[in-house]
Amino acid sequence: MSERVVDVDPASDSTASAGRDRGAATGPSRVGEFFAGERHLIWDTGVMSVPAAALSARALVKQFKRVRAVDGVDLTVGAGERVALLGPNGAGKTTTLMMLLGVITPDSGVVELVGRRLPAQRSAAMEQVGFAAGYLPLPERLRVREFLELFADLYGLADRRGAVAGGLARFRIEELGDAMGNELSSGQRTLVGIVKATLHNPPLLILDEPTASLDPDVAHRVRSGLEELCAEDGTALLVTSHNMQEVERLCSRVVFLAAGRVVADGSPDEVVAKFGSSDLEGVFLHLAEGGTEPITDARPVS
Amino acid sequence: MRAQRVRAVARRQVYVLKRAPQRWFDVIVWPVVDAILFGAIGVYFGRQHGVAATSAAFLLAGIVLFHVVFQAEIGLATGFLEETWSRNLLNLMVTPLTELEYGAGVALFGMARLAIGLTVVSVVAFALFAFNVTTLGVALLPLVAILLVVGWSVALIVIGLILRVGQGAEILTWGFIAFLLPLSGIFYPVSALPGAIQPISQALPTTHAFAAAHALVEGHALPWGQVALAAVGAVVLAVLSVWFLTRMLATFRRRGFISRHV
Repeated sequence: MSERVVDVDPASDSTASAGRDRGAATGPSRVGEFFAGERHLIWDTGVMSVPAAALSARALVKQFKRVRAVDGVDLTVGAGERVALLGPNGAGKTTTLMMLLGVITPDSGVVELVGRRLPAQRSAAMEQVGFAAGYLPLPERLRVREFLELFADLYGLADRRGAVAGGLARFRIEELGDAMGNELSSGQRTLVGIVKATLHNPPLLILDEPTASLDPDVAHRVRSGLEELCAEDGTALLVTSHNMQEVERLCSRVVFLAAGRVVADGSPDEVVAKFGSSDLEGVFLHLAEGGTEPITDARPVS
Repeated sequence: MRAQRVRAVARRQVYVLKRAPQRWFDVIVWPVVDAILFGAIGVYFGRQHGVAATSAAFLLAGIVLFHVVFQAEIGLATGFLEETWSRNLLNLMVTPLTELEYGAGVALFGMARLAIGLTVVSVVAFALFAFNVTTLGVALLPLVAILLVVGWSVALIVIGLILRVGQGAEILTWGFIAFLLPLSGIFYPVSALPGAIQPISQALPTTHAFAAAHALVEGHALPWGQVALAAVGAVVLAVLSVWFLTRMLATFRRRGFISRHV
């Protein structure tokens, strides 16, 4: 199947997509900029195209009883773009991620993953998305290799053994293949979780606090593996983290949430400048203390 | 529906059964215990009236067929429970796996489990009490099919309740079956139940399926009227259980109950 690249109307709503555009590795930082003049890759079948945005969410709202967890969040991640979703505890990050993944139904709003609209096209969308979280355990009664092979099947991979071997090698944990899930350290579990999430080389990888509670060495391996993956495959990344150094290393764009709303969206430098802080950690602390406006105090916040 | 994903779900259940010895209680131990218990009761009471063989056959046919409902229900419900116990639900929900594929995979494994459980109870009944369930003939097949549907339907209701109220509802995996056991007239005619309970019993598809089985044990032809009532009841229960599960799953997603399982 040959490929050809064509210009498309940026206003068109492409929902019939599959496959991925590995060439579009660098994504702009704004929705409008991204769609302007963006190219779609279309196969000769004429029915498969890859949309410009790996992820597009508009006006997401979620209310749990008296708490408005997410309040009108707009979020776009371009193909190959690396975005951090940041904010203090209770800001609505995980609820937003769960809505993006179709696990929680939003009260209102629209989610499209790789051109597939949720919830109607959830299954097709999830073939193009990987998810891992630092807090997810591995099932106790499975060996790592069995666990990964099961997920390779769930992702519909023809060569599940090859995919698992390749995934373990990518993160340099081949020796864990025969270990039982409950024998692993939290760092090893995280690495296996990320291998699981990337078995099918998804165009979009969503990670919820992937390095939480990991020692610096393992966290470094996780970050290096992710950088390698994104650089080689042009994988778009949406990651939540409380580690601002990690964010600055991994992501070209940060989106700050506070009380369920987007309060900042831009490159780390832009966001730091907007808030008048010395670094991202200063912005984080400012938001955690309830501030949403630029820091007026001249003292360094970090 | 993708066969590869259905097989993956079934394979996952095989790993669990292989590595969790306690799961063999449902598949091996309870069928043996039930066959010995009800066979012995049948022989004892039968001897009082000089009909030991008939009495034992009546109870053993009941327990063999009861294990169709039991194994079908337990297999499906505990298959889902395993995902909640191992906090694997979120992992599954973020894959392309659909609810139908998941159900089909667990049901596929449940069929294998059912075959093992039924074989065990039938072999024990034959070895210890000379009761051969196959002598009841192919007429058993529609009854087995009806009881299978009932077992799966009860499991879907249990899964729906677990999604809605959390793991506290897991006791119903065994609780609903415990209610069906006395109410379905498995070991006695419905007329033996207190009058106030009999209408409830008559409304259950299992009651009519077991009444048909008893007719076979007594050497009569299969009472198709009872089979039809049981089949209609099973279909109604199946439709209701799917509707209920769909509603509960929607509530689960709407109210963010995944947080209970991570």
